[in-house]
Amino acid sequence: MSTALSSAAVPVRRRFKIGAESRGVKLLLPALLLLGGFFLIPVLTLLLRSVMEPAPGLQNYVELLGSQTYVRVFFNTFMVAGVVTLITLLIGFPTAWLLAVLPKRWSQLMFAVLLLSMWTNLLARTYAWMVLLQQTGLINRVLMAIGVIDEPLALVNNLVGVTIGMTYIMLPFLVMPLHATLRAIDPSTLRAAAICGASRWQALRLVLLPLALPGIASGALMVFVMSLGYYVTPALLGGTNYMMLAELIAQLVQSLLNWGLAGAAAFVLLVVTLGLYAVQLRYLGGGRTGFGGR
Amino acid sequence: MTTPFLQIRGLRKTYDQVVAIDHVSLDIQQGEFMTFLGPSGSGKSTTLYIVAGFQGPTEGQVLLNGKSLLEVAPNQRNIGMVFQRYTLFPHLTVGENVAFPLRVRRRPEAEIKAKVEKMLELVHLAGYRDRLPGQLSGGQQQRVAIARALAYDPPLLLMDEPLSALDKKLREEIQLELRRIHQETGVTILYVTHDQEEALRLSDRIAVFSQGKIEQVGTGEELYERPTSRFVAGFIGNSNFLPVKVEQMGSGRARAVFPNGHAVEGAASALAAGSEGTLMVRPEQMRIRPAAAAAGHGLAVTVRDMTYLGDSMHFAVQTPWQQEIAVRMAVRDGQGLSIGAPAVLEWDAQHGHVFA
Amino acid sequence: MLLDFDRLGAWRWGLIGVGTVVMLFLLLPIVFIAALSFGDSQWLVFPPPGWTLQWYQQLLTDPVWIDSLLTSAKVAVIVTVLSVALGLLASLGLARSTFFGKSALQAFFLTPMVLPVVVLAVALYAFFLKLGLTGTLTGFVIGHLIIALPFSIITIGNSLQSFDPALEDAAMICGAGPIEVKWRVTLPAIRLGLFAAAVFSFLISWDEVVLSIFMASPTLQTLPVLIWSTLRQDLTPVIAAASTLLVALTIVLMLLVSLLKRGTRS
Repeated sequence: MSTALSSAAVPVRRRFKIGAESRGVKLLLPALLLLGGFFLIPVLTLLLRSVMEPAPGLQNYVELLGSQTYVRVFFNTFMVAGVVTLITLLIGFPTAWLLAVLPKRWSQLMFAVLLLSMWTNLLARTYAWMVLLQQTGLINRVLMAIGVIDEPLALVNNLVGVTIGMTYIMLPFLVMPLHATLRAIDPSTLRAAAICGASRWQALRLVLLPLALPGIASGALMVFVMSLGYYVTPALLGGTNYMMLAELIAQLVQSLLNWGLAGAAAFVLLVVTLGLYAVQLRYLGGGRTGFGGR
Repeated sequence: MTTPFLQIRGLRKTYDQVVAIDHVSLDIQQGEFMTFLGPSGSGKSTTLYIVAGFQGPTEGQVLLNGKSLLEVAPNQRNIGMVFQRYTLFPHLTVGENVAFPLRVRRRPEAEIKAKVEKMLELVHLAGYRDRLPGQLSGGQQQRVAIARALAYDPPLLLMDEPLSALDKKLREEIQLELRRIHQETGVTILYVTHDQEEALRLSDRIAVFSQGKIEQVGTGEELYERPTSRFVAGFIGNSNFLPVKVEQMGSGRARAVFPNGHAVEGAASALAAGSEGTLMVRPEQMRIRPAAAAAGHGLAVTVRDMTYLGDSMHFAVQTPWQQEIAVRMAVRDGQGLSIGAPAVLEWDAQHGHVFA
Repeated sequence: MLLDFDRLGAWRWGLIGVGTVVMLFLLLPIVFIAALSFGDSQWLVFPPPGWTLQWYQQLLTDPVWIDSLLTSAKVAVIVTVLSVALGLLASLGLARSTFFGKSALQAFFLTPMVLPVVVLAVALYAFFLKLGLTGTLTGFVIGHLIIALPFSIITIGNSLQSFDPALEDAAMICGAGPIEVKWRVTLPAIRLGLFAAAVFSFLISWDEVVLSIFMASPTLQTLPVLIWSTLRQDLTPVIAAASTLLVALTIVLMLLVSLLKRGTRS
């Protein structure tokens, strides 16, 4: 009796599964059509134009990597991204650490501030820094009032402004994942290090930092890649003399209508971004964080 | 008299308004295996953590060789410690874990290498030097933790429920190893556990903790044979508690009566005559005889249940005031008893203990 | 010890110091623009000589600002609905099926999130120029939808993961049809995920700048595009007022999410 039941049950179960599978694939169609038609095709077309316009060949890439102006843009982009990543790490690590050890009510408060900053409109934040950093802005006037400087510093329309603004925007993106990494470390491990005779510095260097390294590396990589592709903040805080890669791509299309060169620049940005993203997935376990710079 | 090796003096610790430990005092001799035994929240771990330096006491003093430990940072106390979870450094190999305390002490490389070999041999893990902790079983990890804690020859080793995460068989295996390591190294051990069997198996002396205080300190035998409080009697071994009224107090002995008027004697200290109390007798120290065979002494009871356990018989008997009492006897002593039959319950006066 | 707050010793004060400075750094711009938006200085002098509501008045009486606000809202609402609907279908499809190349497809669905937005913006701009979709509501919606969809798929996918599919089988055994099962069992179980996906999608569309700059025309623009083009000319306090309203909206949405979370937990 029981064998008859079970042998009857198996095919029913299978048929149901197969039904679910084909239905599942149908459910994917709308998203697939949208992304295929309005994401994949346009991006591939743009990249194709880089080797087709104005004539087939690699001349756009030669121009991009051969011209002093464009090399300067690459240099600015990578330098700002590097410096922003470094500063973000230096102040973000202690912040994430504090967040990980603080009593709950205080850490919740810090979290609220981080989230508020992260979700506040990007233009609103950038606007605030434009006003704060201008010649007659609050920062310059405070610094002059306390006698640190005699004349206002040039803090906007250059890479200093871009770096400050970008650091502000990137900080939460580093602190949040790093905090999760630090929280996952068992505090007893650090107690064990202390009782084994390690001083605070030794415990930091030999135990805490190595254990936090995956979080530090993936957070830093994410900040770096996001910084490379950012458009709005560098454009507004950097002014016209200090251009970064995303702004260059926009300029080439909007002002110069040079689609071929824009496609080449986009391709370079794409390759670097996706390449570093692949590194992240491969070696650092990925996580589900987005990179897409604004 | 020489100064004790480790002195814990009037230790008190409060969190906000809650008292975690209250005036804990204890002397520990060099080379002794001392166990803190008690239920969770009884203050045994807090006391250990204060000795380790992870917490500061609200009041009191800890002296090692007559010198205060409290001013010394944990990393300079030169104490070894094994934790409940293995707390090995997951990014370092077994060998590097054991070498860690020596590296932070900047010992020469050759010495480190030799010492690591020796320690891994001590815990029978000689072939595992280059594995990562994640590749070891729980029992192996805990043995590495022991090797790491002993690598720098600390005079004192603290162990915070080190075996509680392991299964029973592994636990017994490592208990045997711990005894051997204790004998081989002569290190003084402070061991925390809530498992009375483990405490009896390992320790020279046991301090029983309850509600932030030490109830009694003594060898396993002393605690079992001569408990000074109802808590200790209940926590170590099996016991029957019978209600009595103290009638008369002698030197170390009390005369008391059961609710049915039957009078007994038992070991006691400082009880007021006329007060309510409890008489404790271990199940295996009681005897039952068929009522017909007894000559009028002992407490009249009824047999309610008999269980054959191979090496012994377990009886449940009912007193005249309807209380169930457990009795354990050799199988042959249970002859002539049957369920429902009246019987007489007896024990030697020295095995009765009267508590307040 | 390094992870025990009360045994950090002197380092504790170092961490608290850095943490406090960082918190002030994060709050400074937000508090600052809120204060400026009520100040009566055209030149953004701080602290302002007096207080006024004139910038809010200018903002809310200027038809250009009102139009862009309405466009933003319209686009964001349409994007939210489509993003949750498509995201739900796609994550159901991904969760309940196995086929060759599934993980590659999953990765493809998430690439718009990884890609620098400027690349997508330029590519879509070229494409829409040919299709005549620039400067249209459709153009805005498609652009925003592409970057909102990955967040929607992730959020709904996560909540589907913690939903036991055996419940669907159980409902089916009880006699419910496939559609009814989804409607009565699956959707209620993942409603928090759907709500979060909706909030994310709305905020992403509402705040989106880069794509919108390329989609906009002089007659059709969203609020961020208007802020952007105004900012390129001068730093008028009207933008401070607009920014403050945006911050207020963010806070309201954040509170809503946390209240909802607390409500379901208790």
